[in-house]
Amino acid sequence: MTLYRYIARRVLLLFPMLVGITVLSFLLSHAVPADPVAANLGDQAAADPTIVAAFRHRWGLDQPLYRQYLIYLWNLVHGNMGISISTRQPVLLDLRQHLPATIEIAVAAMLLSLATGIPLGMLAAVNRERPIDQAARVTSLVGVSTPVFWLGLIAIVVFYARLGWAPAPGRLSPTITPPPFVTGFVLIDALLSHRGDAAADWLQHLILPAAVLSAYSLGIVTRMTRGSMLEVLGEEYVRTARAKGVTRWAVVVRHAARNALIPIITIVGLSFGGLLSGAVVTETVFSWPGLGLYAFSSATSLDFPAIMGSGIVVAAVYVLVNLVVDVAYAFFDPRIRVA
Amino acid sequence: MARRGGRSDRYGDLSRRDLLRLAGAGAGLSVLGILKDVGLVEGAASAGTLTVGGAGFDIKTLDPGRELENGANNIDHATYDSLVTFEGEDLKTPKPSLATGWTVSADGKTYTFKLRPNVKFASGNPLTSADFKWSIDRVRYLKGNAAFLLEGLDEVQTPDPLTVVIRMTEPHPAILPILSSPVLSAIDSKLVAANGGDASPDAKTKDQAEGYLNAHSAGTGAFMLQSYTPKQEIVLVKNPNHWRGAPKVDRVVLRNVAEPAAQELMIKKGDLDVATGIGADQVRSLTGVQGVTVKTSLASTLVYVMMNQNPQVGGPFANPKVVEAIRAAIDYNGMLALAGKGALRQAGIIPNNFPGALPGAEAAKTDREHAKRLLKEANLGDITGTLTFASDLVFYGIQANLIAQKVQEDLGTVGIKINLNGLPYSVAIQQYRDGKNQLGIWQWAADYPDVSDYLVFVPGRTVAKRTGWMADASPVAQQITQLAKATETEVDTAKRVALYQRLNRMIASYGPWAPLFQPVTPYAFRSNVRGVTFASAWMVDYYTVSKT
Repeated sequence: MTLYRYIARRVLLLFPMLVGITVLSFLLSHAVPADPVAANLGDQAAADPTIVAAFRHRWGLDQPLYRQYLIYLWNLVHGNMGISISTRQPVLLDLRQHLPATIEIAVAAMLLSLATGIPLGMLAAVNRERPIDQAARVTSLVGVSTPVFWLGLIAIVVFYARLGWAPAPGRLSPTITPPPFVTGFVLIDALLSHRGDAAADWLQHLILPAAVLSAYSLGIVTRMTRGSMLEVLGEEYVRTARAKGVTRWAVVVRHAARNALIPIITIVGLSFGGLLSGAVVTETVFSWPGLGLYAFSSATSLDFPAIMGSGIVVAAVYVLVNLVVDVAYAFFDPRIRVA
Repeated sequence: MARRGGRSDRYGDLSRRDLLRLAGAGAGLSVLGILKDVGLVEGAASAGTLTVGGAGFDIKTLDPGRELENGANNIDHATYDSLVTFEGEDLKTPKPSLATGWTVSADGKTYTFKLRPNVKFASGNPLTSADFKWSIDRVRYLKGNAAFLLEGLDEVQTPDPLTVVIRMTEPHPAILPILSSPVLSAIDSKLVAANGGDASPDAKTKDQAEGYLNAHSAGTGAFMLQSYTPKQEIVLVKNPNHWRGAPKVDRVVLRNVAEPAAQELMIKKGDLDVATGIGADQVRSLTGVQGVTVKTSLASTLVYVMMNQNPQVGGPFANPKVVEAIRAAIDYNGMLALAGKGALRQAGIIPNNFPGALPGAEAAKTDREHAKRLLKEANLGDITGTLTFASDLVFYGIQANLIAQKVQEDLGTVGIKINLNGLPYSVAIQQYRDGKNQLGIWQWAADYPDVSDYLVFVPGRTVAKRTGWMADASPVAQQITQLAKATETEVDTAKRVALYQRLNRMIASYGPWAPLFQPVTPYAFRSNVRGVTFASAWMVDYYTVSKT
């Protein structure tokens, strides 16, 4: 199979998958034994049948369940994700306002964990059972097992409250007027409008939450790199290269690492999904106005259109990232395509 | 902005070594160090901007006709004005706002308001009585969350541009405090009608102005809405043409800072000027911190244990002796300690800051021997029950979990075994509203600053119905129902207060509730910020706040 046919097949598979996701999130959110009326109307209003009827009618809740789903699907196909009950604006607009913030910290966290995890894993493998290896293993264990909530609060106390290195939680300082909304990504919007102040302010706010969020994937990347490097370093071609007189570091970097890092691509895909959904806690602790906070508050107020919208977007991003990963994998390792 | 420009010049101070550190920073922490070195890390906000931290952001809409939440009242109170208002923390005496004065007809059904002349909306349109009629009719016909405020309204009349007449079908003295609600404020009817607003009886389907009102304010208030990003941030700017004179701060930035501990750190460092989302823990750690003032404001709220009187749901708890025994078994002092500094005992169902409240001496006393005697008299054997509560609910900074555990422990001392049933809020409240809680921990927060909002505890009305206490449940229930009818239509203030006290006393004695406490809302502000008051109806009034 050629690479193109492989990609085409994977892209086509996306559509049934997304329909499946809409069915699943619709059923799950409606299976909760609660009524959006309870979560959205006040006590007095909920006791007045005419107000309750008006609420149900406005949000389409007076329709049978299958019709609600079909109407949703019909609108979705036409690019309309409905109006959020708790923000009263189109869900699509809500997602445009919240998703970029999450992608910002997820990507920054991913880059941080790769930039730190890969060198650390390689050093650990090369210096197996030496102090640096032990240190890397402890770092990775701590990263994987520390609750993000706790880590976030500690980071704020130390780097913001005590040392004063980091700015207050949030995405921009209150004194900074956000750059005009174009893409929703502060960095891009700031550059488009030549707002260096906003870009610099954003970067300072980004570092701490991204570092905290990266802890888990850093642990995984370090472990995987170490394991994979150890395996490759034992291969015959590595021994051959050494025997031919190639220096130790040249072998590690040019021969071993290139092969050892292929599994890391998979980890990137898997962890990215985890970062997207795991951002809820980090976003709460750091007041980072992302999709995690949005999805969480939508779920607690039974805001069906918003729950569906967040679910579909997270699933779609997850599926897309994994598609890119698989394609990259196939690109780097032709054996995948053959199989 | 000038400071910001000065800072970016200092990028030049970065040495090559610093750049290498920047590039090579693994966890990024040394980057923070460098940014600090070159002075890039943000300090306190400028004097013209008031930065406020709120937690949770319960705001669903800023459209006055559709909102009811505290957070929206806070913003709409700053951007709109009503006929009457309350000053500072007082919620007993309505004061003139857009109305300079009012008269009440002898039968208590007609309320005539004289409007302040020469008041203009932020748009420049003059305010007339037609704007009030349009705004109030719109609330009525939208059938939104707050439409119940206008129950009993016959019509709004506008005999001349500066007179508003509100006619009720029954005598309704509560309408005065109700009219202070930001929900019933004056909307610029010309402007909003041009942007999809509708106040006709079909407003429910015809009105399309919610989107407009979430992006722009259309009031006479001291501030104007500059931007609203749901669940994130609200920015208000001053209305230079406000009728009381322009406010003292230029801008108010309200941020959603979900984590109370983060608010604590931010106010300590001066990154927030006012923090309204803190809890009892933060009060303890912020007290005595230099540069920070911590206060509590009594919330017009009752936190209570309900005992279902429907025998099929309540079981042994429908027995009046068991109800009384539970009231005697609860350790109220321990409960107050849990509720934090400033919280009060409440003798009946009416909060201490409303007329009709009972003196503290009348509150139920902890007497476990008495409770045991009552249980023996009830002769029901071993009593076991299920206490339902919203496990994700926080009552004014106190987790519902903790209150539930305390109730379980207290009732255990007299031999009542309680199983805790913590559920997500939306599930728990649904069961409660359906009348299916055997025992439950809930609160009633006043929707408007008047005692009449507590008539929901009268047999057969909203809260009592959920507790299975119907109007025909017993001769006493019937008697209370009759008394309530006389109370709510009484126009004479002194008689009204006396009637409410009597009603309150009867419900306290015969009603199926154990009032636990009246909570407080803690808030904190920097010492260079003055004029911060907190009223439970709309939280902080930004008009009176100044910053040096």
